[in-house]
Amino acid sequence: MISLNHYLALSGVLFALGFYGVLVRRSAILILIAVELMLAAVSINFVAFASYLDAKLFTGVIFAIFVITIAAAEVGLALGIVLRIYRERSTANVDEASTLKW
Amino acid sequence: MSMAMAGILIAIPASIFVLLALTWKMLPRGGDFLVVLGFLAVWLLGLGIAADFTKYFHEGVFAPNGANAFAFDWINIGDGLFHIQFSTWVDSITVVMIVVVTTVALMVAIYSTGYMRGEERYGWYFAALSLFVTAMLTLVLSGNLLQLYFAWEGVGLASFLLIGFYWERQSAAEAAKKAFITTRVGDVGLLIGIVLLWREAGTFDIQQIIEFAEHGGFNSTYLTVSMLFLFLGAVGKSAQFPLHVWLPDAMEGPTPVSALIHAATMVVAGVYLVARMMPVFDVVPAAREVVLYTGLITAVMAATMGLVSNDIKRVLAFSTVSQLGFMFVALGMGAVGVAMFHLLTHAFFKALLFLGSGSVIHATHEQTVEHLGGLRKKLPITTWTFCIGSLALAGVIPFAGFWSKDEILHTAMHDAPFAYVVLAATAILTAIYTTRVVLLTFWGEPKDHHAYEHAHESGWTMAGPLVFLSILAVFSGFVVFHSVGAALGFPGGILETVYTEEPELFHFDPVFAATAVGMSLAGIGIGFAYWWGDAQRAVRARAWAPELHALLVNRYYIDDLYQGIIDRVVLGLGGIVAAFERHVVNESGVDGGSQLIGWFGMRLKFLQTGRIPNYALAMAVGVVVLAVMAFRSA
Amino acid sequence: MPLPAQLDRTIVTGTIMASAIGLPYIVALSLLGLMGRISGAEVVWWLLAGLILVGAIGSVTSNNVVHAALSLVVAAMGVAGMFLLLASEFLALVQVLVYGGGVAILLLFALMMTNASDDPIVVDGSQKPFGFGVALIMGIVMVSAMVGASWDATITTVVSFRDIGTRLYRDYGVPFEVASLVLLVALVGAIAIARRDTEESDAA
Repeated sequence: MISLNHYLALSGVLFALGFYGVLVRRSAILILIAVELMLAAVSINFVAFASYLDAKLFTGVIFAIFVITIAAAEVGLALGIVLRIYRERSTANVDEASTLKW
Repeated sequence: MSMAMAGILIAIPASIFVLLALTWKMLPRGGDFLVVLGFLAVWLLGLGIAADFTKYFHEGVFAPNGANAFAFDWINIGDGLFHIQFSTWVDSITVVMIVVVTTVALMVAIYSTGYMRGEERYGWYFAALSLFVTAMLTLVLSGNLLQLYFAWEGVGLASFLLIGFYWERQSAAEAAKKAFITTRVGDVGLLIGIVLLWREAGTFDIQQIIEFAEHGGFNSTYLTVSMLFLFLGAVGKSAQFPLHVWLPDAMEGPTPVSALIHAATMVVAGVYLVARMMPVFDVVPAAREVVLYTGLITAVMAATMGLVSNDIKRVLAFSTVSQLGFMFVALGMGAVGVAMFHLLTHAFFKALLFLGSGSVIHATHEQTVEHLGGLRKKLPITTWTFCIGSLALAGVIPFAGFWSKDEILHTAMHDAPFAYVVLAATAILTAIYTTRVVLLTFWGEPKDHHAYEHAHESGWTMAGPLVFLSILAVFSGFVVFHSVGAALGFPGGILETVYTEEPELFHFDPVFAATAVGMSLAGIGIGFAYWWGDAQRAVRARAWAPELHALLVNRYYIDDLYQGIIDRVVLGLGGIVAAFERHVVNESGVDGGSQLIGWFGMRLKFLQTGRIPNYALAMAVGVVVLAVMAFRSA
Repeated sequence: MPLPAQLDRTIVTGTIMASAIGLPYIVALSLLGLMGRISGAEVVWWLLAGLILVGAIGSVTSNNVVHAALSLVVAAMGVAGMFLLLASEFLALVQVLVYGGGVAILLLFALMMTNASDDPIVVDGSQKPFGFGVALIMGIVMVSAMVGASWDATITTVVSFRDIGTRLYRDYGVPFEVASLVLLVALVGAIAIARRDTEESDAA
């Protein structure tokens, strides 16, 4: 039987993987990909709770809809910024964006 | 009625001081007339209080009825637990002091208008004089020890200001500092003594402390120690051994200041204090013995030092120290009346001598005796008043000094015979050095013709006080007689009015008196023998014992000893403290603290890489830590 | 035409991994399912879970940026399958459309515009060990927390389109409108940020 805990564990692992990606990746776009992973993990979490525990109101499902919407908007905007930065500095490497450095 | 007057007695010079201190530059003549008038008013009021005082005697015994005391609460915590008042107490001792202080102050004020004319800070001089008189009157009128201590410090301050009046002169500034610091050593003792007494008695009020002591409220050793501390204050202020070193140097101040403060009034504050606390000293005779010996040592030491001094004022300063020693010997024997009597006569003739020397200095601009001579032809009034004062100092009958000194010797003969021997020798020395000064200054050939040519007698502002004081120097000794005292309205002579245990009637002992006068005349004769004419004998005597002479001239090297202690011990300790402050507090503490922060900053700045992934990692670590904590607590 | 060297390597790596790990995994699952030890839904779940993890790991560890983006698509499809298993068909639909059809395309476009060459660039940052440790701890904490609790529940109903529509437009109408505003703002913002300034001055 697939219990709620299965889905939660999966979402946890997926979140951790995305987390790792955010910390480690050098290109801004790859970081965005990792962020998308984290958002997907969160969606699974919400929908799992909604389906198992909240069958009448399924608020979690609605929430997940919004998460996906906002994720899409965010990716669009973030990529716009990345493109702009790339145009100015001809690199998308986040390590290079260090003008606040001592 | 006397009590309201007592308050006004202090208020008048106090208000004059405040006014003058603020406005002397704007007033015509620096406001000296205000001071003279003020002192005149105070003198008359003082005489009024003295006259009023006679009604407190009942059948010859002082019977205070509370109307001679006045108290005003300032701080009262815990209903008597800690109680500071402004209080006055008038008894016979107070009356003697009031008469002395106000009379000499008036004379000095009048004299100063002539002597200090043309000085740059003329008005400020008079302001400081008013401050002094305020503090001195507060001191003698004080009913409680704390107020007395405030006034004690006040006179010390005024003395400092006036000794250092010519502060542009390095020696004057040094002398003022020395005076203040030396008396400070005494003042600390006084404060400790006051606090010790308060601790047991629970009050600062003098009469209450006396009652408490007489009823055995103090432990005997404790009380002895307390009174010795108190006496230390007197030693400092009255320039007794070993704190006598400041008085000779205090002659750097203007001569009227020396007359007022360092002859007649401030230096007798110590005598006044011991006299006032005599009933308590009587409870612990050991402390009284210390007073006796201190006075004895001081009297003879100072007389020897006065013998070789070449500055006319300095000789008088040593003489003052020596005569104060006489007063303390009298107090050490418990004879308060005798001591106060000598205080009275000494004030008049010593002030006279100082003002006379001031007249000489004003005329010749010279202080060194070896440069003077033959001035009697040029300064007649000064010469004869000075001679009267000298005869009084030497103790020749019928001048004032004889009566009071004779009483001291008489008491010593009965109570402490060895003290009598020492005092008698000192009396002879006194006569010798007095004669020396008189002869070298006024007789013989002038040694500095430039000074001699310019000498001229002073105006009436200076001569008047000289004459008045010389009259007092002649006649003030007679107050010891019963008839004179009674005529003035007192129950009898001064010994019947001023006493601790019981009044004593004065008896004139002709044989004893003849011995005393004989000793004085012998001293005068020796003086003549050595210093008359060209003083060859004196020159040979000096050559015969040069080390002794050097010892006396260098004041027994005590000043050098103190300076050595200061240089080594005090400044050494100061050096240690300074080093501590510099290295530990400043460099390690203050500088070190800031440097430590800088050091950390230089190392911690590398955390700010400016790279976003690093910051993201840091945030992530924080989140993980929180998550782990939350997980564990769950 | 010879294949590019890189494609070679990817094919080789992928094939090795697929055969070493993926094949036994699938075979084991099938056997267990056929033997009746686990139900059919469980088999599907585990397959989908494996797919998601393969895609996720690929997207965060791949050195080739295009491979990373495509792995994201794989993971997204797996997530869509999960939504189906959770009886939310609408959400699965939305996931496929938005992620697969929108986000992935966008990412690929951006990748193409920002990569000068198709050589692999060293994409991993200098804090790999720290990041690995932190993520590992995070993962362990989260999984332990989630597995530790127990809920006694099953999926009871299928969420119908009609229900979602009702909830969305009636109860969450305002957030819905706000979400559309957000999309508008994002759109405008992206255009404003990303367009070239020279065009403006030319037009003026």
